[in-house]
Amino acid sequence: MSSAAGPDPSEAPEERRFLSTAEAAALERELLEDYRFGRQQLVELCGHASAVAVTKAFPLPALSRKQRTVLVVCGPEQNGAVGLVCARHLRVFEYEPTIFYPTRSLDLLHRDLTTQCEKMDIPFLSYLPTEVQLINEAYGLVVDAVMGPGVEPREVGGPCTRALATLKLLSIPLVSLDIPSGWDAETGSDSEDGLRPDVLVSLAAPKRCAGRFSGRHHFVAGRFVPDDVLRKFALRLPGYTGTDCVAAL
Amino acid sequence: MSGLRALLGLGLLVAGSRLQRITTQISACRSGPTWWGPQRLNSGVRWNSEVMASTAVKYLSQEEAQAVDQELFNEYQFSVDQLMELAGLSCATAIAKAYPPTSMSRSPPTVLVICGPGNNGGDGLVCARHLKLFGYQPTIYYPKRPNKPLFTALVTQCQKMDIPFLGEMPSEPMVIDELYELVVDAIFGFSFKGDVREPFHSILRVLKGLTVPIASIDIPSGAGTQKVGWEWV
Repeated sequence: MSSAAGPDPSEAPEERRFLSTAEAAALERELLEDYRFGRQQLVELCGHASAVAVTKAFPLPALSRKQRTVLVVCGPEQNGAVGLVCARHLRVFEYEPTIFYPTRSLDLLHRDLTTQCEKMDIPFLSYLPTEVQLINEAYGLVVDAVMGPGVEPREVGGPCTRALATLKLLSIPLVSLDIPSGWDAETGSDSEDGLRPDVLVSLAAPKRCAGRFSGRHHFVAGRFVPDDVLRKFALRLPGYTGTDCVAAL
Repeated sequence: MSGLRALLGLGLLVAGSRLQRITTQISACRSGPTWWGPQRLNSGVRWNSEVMASTAVKYLSQEEAQAVDQELFNEYQFSVDQLMELAGLSCATAIAKAYPPTSMSRSPPTVLVICGPGNNGGDGLVCARHLKLFGYQPTIYYPKRPNKPLFTALVTQCQKMDIPFLGEMPSEPMVIDELYELVVDAIFGFSFKGDVREPFHSILRVLKGLTVPIASIDIPSGAGTQKVGWEWV
């Protein structure tokens, strides 16, 4: 079974387990344009499934009160929107999320997702301490929803960049949504200096850089890709069982 | 029969049983000015009072559900698309838990999803799509389709996933019993009031004659409506 990291042009179609950044964008376009999915639909399904993945990696009954506190760091793009949905479902699942969302997108989707979290009494931090020990002491785990594939570091703004610098030093568990923020989505470069998450939750399908992931758990989450689309992109994903929206890789 | 909480955490799943047929109800709330009327869900629906007492689940009155919906839409800024997706997903999950594919005769198990003209029908479309992903083989009957982007998009999603849409409803219960192992009733929600118009009156009559199980979304369609003449489907 191939577990090659990085691009492999000679990879046989039936063994493809990763999407390039361009392919991920093309797959999303197909769902939005051909299948007429709404972005809000897909973001909701991804955010919900991400929260389910967190519950699988860190089941609630095994956690102390402090360990149930989750810091969700959201960037201004789609990855951040998924983080907002994830935080809301974590709240429903009886975790205690707090959100750091310093650079706010003006689009309606982000605004509504923010309102939903606020109305559910999920606190929004106005600043994130640069002293990582304060984060280690206040929270049980951190969810990184800062950058998805294709987002340039300069697009996320100063506060997010500073947050990522702090998160690199984290000693409590870190869960990254889709890709570890700051990694090159293709090559995984910066995986040495960048974030080193314990858990990677790949949304819909793993991205190329996931080959460089060396943490504890790798999940694929978001069970909405039709079989025809999987075939078209020659993707082979682990089977979801039953009604699960998360599968372990 | 234990109560199940919908994934949204706000809807309430009500389960009751009648003879061999298990009817699973999933309460999922949406609003819109045309949805709500004064019709109260009356006790024409036959509940097992012991089930009610043991599950400690609160059953919403129509007014309460309306208030919940208003709050979700106006205060929480949820969209219909969002809640419909979560409702349909949780319905499919509940159905798959009640009737796992391994317990069904066919592989994949065949399911007929009947979608009504409103939001309950939309829930059914989402449910059908997730049932397909869960390994069922759904077929949809959707005779009255609102001409709104939300619904046309949901139809497209199902069509692109090769979920067939029937041109007409089988007129004999036995035909449905032979072709499908389960029927999902996504015809009317509990905003429904007044006369059951065709083609739904005939559809409900056919469903009443089924021996295969029916899973009703929101409420058993037609429940509490005097004109229909039976207690529940």
